[in-house]
Amino acid sequence: MSLPRLRNDQLSGLMLLALALFVGWQNRAYPLGSVQEPGAGYTPLLIAVFLGVIGLLIALKGASSEPLSEMQWPEAKRAAMILVACAVATYALEHLGYRITVMSLLVFFLGVMEHKKPLAVASVAIGFSLLSFYFIGTLLRVPLPRGPLGW
Amino acid sequence: MLTDGDTLIMLARLAAAVCLVLTPLSALSQESFPNRPISVVVPFPPGGMADLSARPLSVSMEQVLKQPVVVVNKAGASGAVGIQNVANSKPDGYTIMVSLVSFSTIPEVDEMFGRKPAYSRDQFTPIALLAADPPVLAVGAGTPWKSVKELVEDAKKRPGEIVYSHSGLYGPSHLPMEMFLHAAGVRMRQVPAVGGGPAMTLVLGGNAAMWSSPPAMALQHVQSQKIRVLASWGAKRHAAFPDAPTLKELGYDVEFYVWSGVFAPKGVAEPTVTILRDAVRKAVAFPEFKTSMAKVQTPVMYLDGPEFKQFLEKDARMLSTAIKRIGRIEDKK
Amino acid sequence: MADTFQNLLLGFQVALQWNVLGYAFAGCVIGTLVGMMPGLGPLAGISLLLPATFGLNPIIAMVLLGGVYYGAMYGGSTTSILMRIPGEAASVMTCVDGYAMTQNGRAGAALAIAAIGSFVAGTFGVIGLMLLAPTLAALALRFGPPEYTALLMMGFFILAYMSGGSMPKTLAMAAFGLLLGMIGIDAMTGYTRFSFGVIELGDGVGIVPVAVGLFGISEILMTAAAGEGPKVRIPKFRELMPSAREFKDSVGPIARGSLLGFLIGIIPGSAHVISSFVSYGLERRLSKHPERFGKGAIEGVAGPESANNSAATGAFVPMMALGIPTGPVTAVMIAAVMVHGISPGPTMIQNQPELFWGFVASMYVGNVVLLILNLPLVGLFVNLLRIPYAYLYPGILCFCILGCYSVSNSVVDVWIMLIMGGVGYALRKFGYDLAPVALGLVLAPMLELSLRQSLAMSAGDYTIFLQRPIALTMLCLGVLLLLLGLKPLLSKKKDWRSKVGLDEVPD
Repeated sequence: MSLPRLRNDQLSGLMLLALALFVGWQNRAYPLGSVQEPGAGYTPLLIAVFLGVIGLLIALKGASSEPLSEMQWPEAKRAAMILVACAVATYALEHLGYRITVMSLLVFFLGVMEHKKPLAVASVAIGFSLLSFYFIGTLLRVPLPRGPLGW
Repeated sequence: MLTDGDTLIMLARLAAAVCLVLTPLSALSQESFPNRPISVVVPFPPGGMADLSARPLSVSMEQVLKQPVVVVNKAGASGAVGIQNVANSKPDGYTIMVSLVSFSTIPEVDEMFGRKPAYSRDQFTPIALLAADPPVLAVGAGTPWKSVKELVEDAKKRPGEIVYSHSGLYGPSHLPMEMFLHAAGVRMRQVPAVGGGPAMTLVLGGNAAMWSSPPAMALQHVQSQKIRVLASWGAKRHAAFPDAPTLKELGYDVEFYVWSGVFAPKGVAEPTVTILRDAVRKAVAFPEFKTSMAKVQTPVMYLDGPEFKQFLEKDARMLSTAIKRIGRIEDKK
Repeated sequence: MADTFQNLLLGFQVALQWNVLGYAFAGCVIGTLVGMMPGLGPLAGISLLLPATFGLNPIIAMVLLGGVYYGAMYGGSTTSILMRIPGEAASVMTCVDGYAMTQNGRAGAALAIAAIGSFVAGTFGVIGLMLLAPTLAALALRFGPPEYTALLMMGFFILAYMSGGSMPKTLAMAAFGLLLGMIGIDAMTGYTRFSFGVIELGDGVGIVPVAVGLFGISEILMTAAAGEGPKVRIPKFRELMPSAREFKDSVGPIARGSLLGFLIGIIPGSAHVISSFVSYGLERRLSKHPERFGKGAIEGVAGPESANNSAATGAFVPMMALGIPTGPVTAVMIAAVMVHGISPGPTMIQNQPELFWGFVASMYVGNVVLLILNLPLVGLFVNLLRIPYAYLYPGILCFCILGCYSVSNSVVDVWIMLIMGGVGYALRKFGYDLAPVALGLVLAPMLELSLRQSLAMSAGDYTIFLQRPIALTMLCLGVLLLLLGLKPLLSKKKDWRSKVGLDEVPD
């Protein structure tokens, strides 16, 4: 079947099957043991087989599901942007410190994505990052990451 | 007009002057250690033995060093996460760690499984030993043995039938048990639990016959007569269980301690290490520290850096032999 | 009985002193705030406050921590209902129908019923603790690995009831969750499974980052990216309280949830997390209109919320009566008391009655305080929905990152949360239900461990399950539940075909 005619259940079923195969492959490093004494690899293999069978079932039944090309993904681009921004922030968290990271992230969301006025953006970004740091970091004494300058 | 030679001499003088000024400054900055808060990383969740040793220590150290000393819990993978974190941290003396005996066992186990070790012991400078508590052999109230002798005889009669529990593979309740079994020449089945509480629950409920328990945990159940203590793994009898002989007394050459100690990452400057060692030595002598430790039933046993290092090496050798002898569990089939 | 009453009076005398009351109140407030943070739940709350209690006297320490614990349980349902972000693992099921109710404009009712249900369940649990602690503890001790396995199998079979969607997809998600649960160090053999060299995965992927990511982050990705705010009706003031109908519908679930949760909670171990899942499945099975679940059925909020509160209280029974830490939360509570030189256990109840009874009494007090605190706050919380979504979702995202990070001071948890957020988004797009993933993730490690422990105890003999009466009974019950659950599937087979538009297969 060519890609445009792929149905979404067929795709997701096949992806689950692929996941099951991947797990089964990774699992080869762990000893299986026996039914009386299951080893480290026993249960994952069982589950992977189960998942693979179900995935196949879904894919086969999927001939009657919605065609892939008709799936609605209007928000996917923005969703990806949000996710990537969070990922960058997570990476920066322990390199730039909590306050700077959160401030930048909020500036990105409010300023770049939501196009709010600079004053609103600045006050929310600065206020949120400092207040949350104070409550969680100082009052509750959770060691939030600090940047290279200790800030 | 300046010649090259003149410039050179001027530069040399400038350099000398700078050095002269900076040297006392750098010595000053070392003498002024610590000039900001020190974090004591505990690689276990709050409430465990390492945590309960580290907190009174940091309170007392704060009084000695006149700087905040903060305990930071970084738990994960039986301590490996926190220890690795400290191993890779900046060796400026502001990050130190309180760790348990598992510090010595984790790299060995990693090696045995062919994994890249999370850290290695030589990434650390030992500062001091804080406490070293030998575990005790706790058997359930429903079991028939009144002494280790009876236990060993019974075990010889039915090898592989008696079940013992422990708090985690290659951990501080698995290793001492296996060492004892090897010395006694008997075989028993093991049921792993995750943590001391569940391991004790197994024995209390009769699902396992015995385990190698921290004395503090055993004490309250002995008082309510749910378990009996038959022996201890120390060199001397445990203060809380004067009637329980040591395994050494009974003729088994076995000793084990669940110890907690202070470490700094390797590479911390000598003067800083000395300051830290001094601080710990003074802190340990504080009456508040002793009372806090007594409250959680952990006797203080202090060893300074170099002695601690020797203790560590001897301990590590013993643990390594035991681990290798146990091997990988499924390899025994 | 008179004895207990007298002891209780003693306890109240302790608990109602001004300073103790003050600390209980403070604990409840802090707990509620902490619980509302995505990811931070009771465990995180009491771990954070543990150091602060070292300087206080033991009764106050326990009361403070108890208040935080309870408060966090109450607070966790708030974000679940309002924003579909689970405050902690036990609130995952509340997200499903709770948020649907918010979308229908019944947010106030959901919050109120959650608070009331939690109160009833918590009080029930405290009464149970008070009257039955030593007896129950002795019973709980008989729960060994075989019984635990049977119990978890029952929980596993509940999967059959959990979702109204297609059974294969539900099972696939459960399997996915089970696989996630396999990551980490295998306690029986020492192998580190599927950690790909990341040492922080040694303890497995936590339920907290997964739940927050799968439910919360995916929700934000779907609505925030769509550009408009969530389609949520903001209730008017009159609509804040549950209607008479909703009250009536909640009575059964609250009662069942309280009992069920308490029974599951007293079992030593971390099984109490599954109480809310089991309650949801039970309510759906017992309901005359199961198709309402997932679309805003109040039973889907009342049951799980009650169950998880009484399970939380039940978890104190083995801790108090036996003095053993049965899970991370009780371990912290025990540590909090041990630093003062007291060992919880049967001797404590005898030798320091004011500690035990004071704690029990303060739990009553705490429940009342939290009800009083939360009911009026319903109006305030609902107004949170009025904040323009453009400002709300960045704030929520930052809170999620902050909360997840704070649980273990680990960036890896935040990564897990984000990855699961993306995965959850994709899964929802493809029409998969997410709740079974959470159940699978929680169940898998516990079920596998207790099964292999049972086999280790019996040297590989499977008949151990038949030889132990409690285990056998539960297994039979579980199989029964499974068959009952599959029955609709088999009998509706004809409908299924016509629903999907296929021609009926000619006989």
